[in-house]
Amino acid sequence: MLLVIAYTRAARTSLRNVARAHEDSVVRRFGRVALFEATEFGAFQALRLREKHGEAIQVERTRPFNEFEAVRPAVREAARTYEDRETAAVPYDRFADGRDLPPPEAMKGVEL
Amino acid sequence: MTGTGVDGAGANVPTISVRIGDAVRCGRAVTVAVDVDPAALVEAVRSPDAAADGRVAVDAPAPGPVHEHVGHVRPGMGLRTRTALARAARSRGLETPHDDALASVRDRLAATSVEEGDITSRRRAVAEAATETERLRERVATVRGKLQAAREHGGDAAAVSEELASAVRQLSETETDSLAARQRFERVREHARERRDRRERVRKLEDKLANLERDARAHLVEQLADRYADAVADAPGAEQVADPFDADPVTAALAIGRLASLSAPVVLACDRFASAAAASRWLGAPVVRV
Repeated sequence: MLLVIAYTRAARTSLRNVARAHEDSVVRRFGRVALFEATEFGAFQALRLREKHGEAIQVERTRPFNEFEAVRPAVREAARTYEDRETAAVPYDRFADGRDLPPPEAMKGVEL
Repeated sequence: MTGTGVDGAGANVPTISVRIGDAVRCGRAVTVAVDVDPAALVEAVRSPDAAADGRVAVDAPAPGPVHEHVGHVRPGMGLRTRTALARAARSRGLETPHDDALASVRDRLAATSVEEGDITSRRRAVAEAATETERLRERVATVRGKLQAAREHGGDAAAVSEELASAVRQLSETETDSLAARQRFERVREHARERRDRRERVRKLEDKLANLERDARAHLVEQLADRYADAVADAPGAEQVADPFDADPVTAALAIGRLASLSAPVVLACDRFASAAAASRWLGAPVVRV
């Protein structure tokens, strides 16, 4: 999908108008953010906005996240066991310490 | 004249002078011939320098913000009544509890600037380098196949071998260029991100400013609402309405003009008053009547 973010009030107004006028090409809309379908028409709308507002419109392309493709099992395991912890107050780094779970810094250093 | 105090015409209504062609008229209330374009008069009030050489010129104090709304009263005019009323309140020096916050947000906005940037050319360079790399990869593969065939079927293997070396060399250079283009892009993208952070701060301030302005406007309108209702009821030629904010724009503009402190002349192109003098007395402002 195409993630379109408006950074000025004028750009936000344009984004809202475009998203409202082309609802069938819009997957989701939040305040000043819209997800357009990844079609040429969605790209056309995003480019129109950027043409009009320059850098006040950010366009990024998103892709589906499949945790079974994107991350190693240890990361999924860490999420599962941490959310299943008994003591709510314990921060993750302390939780991971002593268990066979990846520390935060290690995960921060690995790009998907 | 029914107004009293600040609502009524005071001795401090300034005298203005209006020149049409060679004829000059002075006073607090001036009537001009019907063939004078009211819009030209308004223009002459708002930009006296631009109008100085034209057929119409007005010598009068400079208009304030409320003049934009009620400085040209004519049938069919539009009016943002509450905005105009709030500006009338400001012209009288009324304040709101939001003014300090408004000033602070305006200062912060004035101090925040975001330079324009455009990284389109960098994106294009990355895409073009990638396309060229892909093209050369395919070419290397093709020439490899050709070399294989030349060796198996007795072609000119030496020539093809040279062709392959050249293609590989080109590919290697293009891959280097492509990597450099991507690195340059990564760098400018970081800067673009910083610009977005600043834009984000500006937008938040602007949203805050808009909210404060709305609150301030509501406060100002509230303070003048009763006087406004009285002025609407007192306006000559007005139809009775239950809510004074539903008054027709001419009536509303006259009422707001009466409440405002106006030293620049109001151009009247309506027949609500018997004379320019009557209009000036009712409005408490200099008047040019067409």
